[in-house]
Amino acid sequence: MGLHRFRPPPSGRMGTLCTLGSIRGAVLLEFGCMGHILYSRVALSRAGIGEACKFYSTHIDEIDITFGSTERLRRAITDIVQYEKPRLIFLSPSAVPEVIGTDLPALCRELQREYPETRLLPFGCGGFNVGFHQGLGETLLLLVKNLPVDRGIAEPPAFNLIGSCADLFRFRADAGELIRIMDGAFGMKPLCVLTSDTATAQIEQMGGGRINIVIRREGEAAAEYLRDRFGTPCLSLRPYGIKATVQWIRRIGEITGIAPDEDFIAAQVREAETLSAPCEATLSHLLRERPDALKLSLGGHADIVKGIMAFGCGELLFPRGLCWCDDPEMAGEDLPYFSEDQWTRALEEQKGGLLMASGEALAWAGRNREMQISNPGPRWQVNPYQPPFVGFRGALHLLDLWINEVTENSSL
Amino acid sequence: MKETEHLKRLSTVRSNGGIKFLSPAAFPGSHCPMHTALVLTRSIRGLSSLVVGMPECATYSRFVIPRAEGKQGELHRMYVVDSEEVVFGCRAGLSEAVRRMAGAGARHLMLIATCIPELIGEDLEGMLREIRGQVPARLTFVFMGHFKCNSHPQGYWKTFAALGGFMEARKRDPQRVNVLGQGPGKDPLPPPALLDVLERKGFHLRFLGLGTSLEDFLEAPDAALNLVLSPLTEPLAVLMETAFGIPQVGLHNVYGIDAIDRAYDSIAEKLESPWDDAFREERQRALRWQERLAAKLNGLCGVFGPLGTLMPVPLAVYLAGFGFRPLLLHMEEFYPADSGYAQELNALGFDPPVCHMVNFRRDLALVEAMAADLWLGQMPGKGKIPSLPGIPGLSAQFGYERICRLGELMLNVPDRRPDRQPGQKEN
Repeated sequence: MGLHRFRPPPSGRMGTLCTLGSIRGAVLLEFGCMGHILYSRVALSRAGIGEACKFYSTHIDEIDITFGSTERLRRAITDIVQYEKPRLIFLSPSAVPEVIGTDLPALCRELQREYPETRLLPFGCGGFNVGFHQGLGETLLLLVKNLPVDRGIAEPPAFNLIGSCADLFRFRADAGELIRIMDGAFGMKPLCVLTSDTATAQIEQMGGGRINIVIRREGEAAAEYLRDRFGTPCLSLRPYGIKATVQWIRRIGEITGIAPDEDFIAAQVREAETLSAPCEATLSHLLRERPDALKLSLGGHADIVKGIMAFGCGELLFPRGLCWCDDPEMAGEDLPYFSEDQWTRALEEQKGGLLMASGEALAWAGRNREMQISNPGPRWQVNPYQPPFVGFRGALHLLDLWINEVTENSSL
Repeated sequence: MKETEHLKRLSTVRSNGGIKFLSPAAFPGSHCPMHTALVLTRSIRGLSSLVVGMPECATYSRFVIPRAEGKQGELHRMYVVDSEEVVFGCRAGLSEAVRRMAGAGARHLMLIATCIPELIGEDLEGMLREIRGQVPARLTFVFMGHFKCNSHPQGYWKTFAALGGFMEARKRDPQRVNVLGQGPGKDPLPPPALLDVLERKGFHLRFLGLGTSLEDFLEAPDAALNLVLSPLTEPLAVLMETAFGIPQVGLHNVYGIDAIDRAYDSIAEKLESPWDDAFREERQRALRWQERLAAKLNGLCGVFGPLGTLMPVPLAVYLAGFGFRPLLLHMEEFYPADSGYAQELNALGFDPPVCHMVNFRRDLALVEAMAADLWLGQMPGKGKIPSLPGIPGLSAQFGYERICRLGELMLNVPDRRPDRQPGQKEN
């Protein structure tokens, strides 16, 4: 931890709230100071999550802390049950109850007897020593462990999308593109988009999926649980680029035993290739004469960085620039983690080329803010209809960004 | 009423701890004091900041201060406490952070410590005393633990008071008056008569509030008088009186022609400059409005909703003097002066319950069951009780003008229905 100039790595609690915040019809009650929840709501609303999960707070004061009182929690639950009549209340602790050692799961077990019609589901990660991605992953796992009901496979075939959460830049656009492709290639609709576009009733039906598509590694534990319980196979992959998207479709076809619609694939490939064809001459010329102009530097979530790197450097043969991820737990040999000191130093040393990173890094480096691929950033993201980065339309979007970036920065 | 049984009566409240929520589940609730501390800090040119707390506090502080560097070279940073430091303290790491910021150019630094540093008893005063001579920066701090209060006013008044820590004694300028609680810049309203008269008499006004430069705060001890227009700056005025002998006259809680007369006389006496009937017209106008208020409010009852920075108890005392019965008071903050005002209200025969409203939809439903004639403040949502949304705006006015404005607002109050007794419930 320590001194930060830019936004620090968020906490596990923020990962929990980010995951639960978009679940429609849900209620969350945090045991802790009001300010946390108020700000969390502000953060989610600026990320494009409107009034989905209702965030309540008990608040907590010195007397509660001194005497270890949890009376506020009981009264708040009573009030919410009486007036909202929810089927389910998520409960989470903020940092203060974590420090004083409040045992929220034990409290929930005690209180559950008083509210038989309302399920009390506690979540941990009070923001003490748990990172954001761990909190997010644990929350996804807790959701699939506790909510899905026993059921058979859905007919017609349907799928679940796991890991679409508000922390990812353009999370709804990316989810929308994958849903569009699944509909076009397989005629499959989602049972549940966990969690950016779902309700508690939909999470309950996840067991009926023909396949679980995981779009970030934090969702893999949840998918494995669903595989063990329901036998649902899964695929953990974010498709970037035209070829990778076709491969992604074919893998889903193999896993589900459902042949994809070849006409759809052909039409999508044809459209993407036709529209991207004008870029080829310029990109080829640059690769031969000025490859530095195409050096691709990426910073953000490890799965996103690897995905875009595979498209840009693997498929299009751009030289690899500086690439880093934003979580030390996700770092590997091929992708280091950079703290803010490290990425600011690295960006100062490396000028030119294509830089895609967080809005905050781009703003600091004085680079093109349209090249944002990760959060945090200074801008609000309330419009869900922005172009994606994954899939066929994502490939076009990336090419559009790259060709404009190189032509604006060079004398072409 | 059953729904308000859990609330304390005003006479038994001694601090924020005595102010209970009207309904127990906050939605949306109130901002924490870190928010307002940052709003104030951001507005002061020349002041750098260091937020100390958990990742949440650090991240959300960027909603208020989005840039790490201010336009005049201010540095805004965050120190995130890790799990070891929660147990063993963050003195070493935080000292190093302060040194780095001072080395990077921060000359006046405000440390804003949030819930966890305050909860674990971090000795910021000791730490700053230790490193004060070692760094080329002036340092001060505030503790902004939300568990110490219900809402955000402490973020303002504690930070204003902490700025007093930067002040040093200066040669007195008998023509200088500090106006505490109003920032510089254009005000859409006509200037208050008092300030206008002071300027015409040759006094130089220095406005200390949101948007004031740090330089103005540092020069403030040269004033002959502090005019206090907001409860948020009263602690700073008290500090300046104690440290530098600068007298203060508070106008933020002064209602009633007699009280205003006394306050204005006090100003003239302290400045050694008589008014020579400068306020005759405003006083006459205010007197007429006051008479109309008395006639209008007698026998009515009401709820004091959120009133912004306006303290509800002194206003309740004034209105109670005309026979207006306060049924319920929302209090954002219990100030030390509120104890005295509470006694005045009790002496008039009123001891209303006090609360903090944190769930407006639920709270409105509860309040409507009280059958009030009036809701003072902005009504959250559509309610049945007639409301006066302009009341919080009274904080921008004072003296005779405030009485006039209050009277204008009260013109909109419907007369009590002759078929209903005060406090009688609707069928």
